[in-house]
Amino acid sequence: MYYKAVIIGGSAGSFQVITRILHSLPPTFPLPVLLSLHRLKHIRSGFVEALSIKASIPIVEPFDKDQIKPGRAYLAPANYHMFIELGNKIALSTEEPVNHSRPSIDLSFVTAAQVYREKLIGIILSGANRDGAYGLKKIKDLGGLAIVQDPAECQVKTMTEASLKLTKADHVFSTQEIIKFLQNIKSTAP
Amino acid sequence: MIRYEIGIVETRNVIKTIFETYGYDFRDYALTSFKRRLEQVITNNGFKDADGLIDRLTNSKEYFDIFLCDITPETTEIFRDPSLWRTIRDEIINDITKGSTRTKLWIAAFDSGEELFSLAILLKEAGLLSDVQLYASVISEKTINKIKSGRIDARELEVNDANYVRFNGKRNFSDYYKIENGQAIFDTSLIQGVNFIKLNTVYDNVPGGIKLALFRNQMIYYNQILQDKVLNQLSNSVVPGGYMVLGVKETLENTSMSNRFTLFNDPEKIYKKKTT
Repeated sequence: MYYKAVIIGGSAGSFQVITRILHSLPPTFPLPVLLSLHRLKHIRSGFVEALSIKASIPIVEPFDKDQIKPGRAYLAPANYHMFIELGNKIALSTEEPVNHSRPSIDLSFVTAAQVYREKLIGIILSGANRDGAYGLKKIKDLGGLAIVQDPAECQVKTMTEASLKLTKADHVFSTQEIIKFLQNIKSTAP
Repeated sequence: MIRYEIGIVETRNVIKTIFETYGYDFRDYALTSFKRRLEQVITNNGFKDADGLIDRLTNSKEYFDIFLCDITPETTEIFRDPSLWRTIRDEIINDITKGSTRTKLWIAAFDSGEELFSLAILLKEAGLLSDVQLYASVISEKTINKIKSGRIDARELEVNDANYVRFNGKRNFSDYYKIENGQAIFDTSLIQGVNFIKLNTVYDNVPGGIKLALFRNQMIYYNQILQDKVLNQLSNSVVPGGYMVLGVKETLENTSMSNRFTLFNDPEKIYKKKTT
């Protein structure tokens, strides 16, 4: 099995986890990493910079219609939804919040699932609401791989538990196991 | 968020029906978000599927206007991106109104009125509201009527209020609306002089001599072909030295307009039209 993208959703308690994951990815990481993380909507700058410290892959806040490239992380901008558009592009939207969230993890996950189907890895991290649970189910339904951070390890486990309730995850992993799994992804094409 | 889901073929069928029946061309809208809006319309109106929507669209012109209102992503916030509005107030508004009468400003996008009320409040607090001519392009008749009635979704008041505080306005935000039956009614005297322009999906009816055009978060709903077309129209309506404002995650780079404008303020994506 080869993959085309990794998408990660997280909210309260996920910042340290996502930082550890990004820092551990090799500079040659072969997939694009899409990050849909809940964040303060009126604080537009600083987040990318904070995530970038020590990360060896470039982390960007994409502009609308940016082409998605492997070996980069794309962080959903503050106060926008981030869709994955056919043709492997980012599409942004200012539509109403979903589950009180903009960006909405569900929306990013669902659109990514529709584009990448069985070649997508979805990862749900710590968080205080249910956003992302439906999106992970969609990834799984369309043949992708569903990974959930072990709720026992989460600072806030609402999001991971909601995901596990809705979807039979392929893996329930600790942060360390997520890192190991991603580090072992070698290439995108057979 | 369990909802009806439609495929790309069905999406294209709806677009084709609208084009053939009403001449509105949505073919160059960004596919993912348009598809999502359609799903929302189908779910919220209880249509069985895309064919149910197509039937209704072909049989009712009245419904088509409601559809236009629902299909265009209208939810934004008053003073969304407060730092932008501060910049317009502190660095632009005096520049464009100085020494001229009836300066023309244009909200070149269909929305639910938030941009318009933000600009009107800004102008009012600067003492300039009666000295300028405001234009607003709106796609749906229903939306125009809603804006004129001053009704803005009260669920958003908290967000709007927080934005106004960050904008550093002169008064209390609540001075600008009253609550009636749980709904916020904004002071319609703010928008009394506004010239509403009914917009089609193509911008064929644009005002000239514009000194400030707000076009935020609209290009994100278009593909590159439509972006170029619309930007060209907008660019022609803005006077040399005039300003055009995009959304903070939109850019003129990679468009045919990049040589006609210079970047005046990068974080807020304010562009200034070149004079030669």
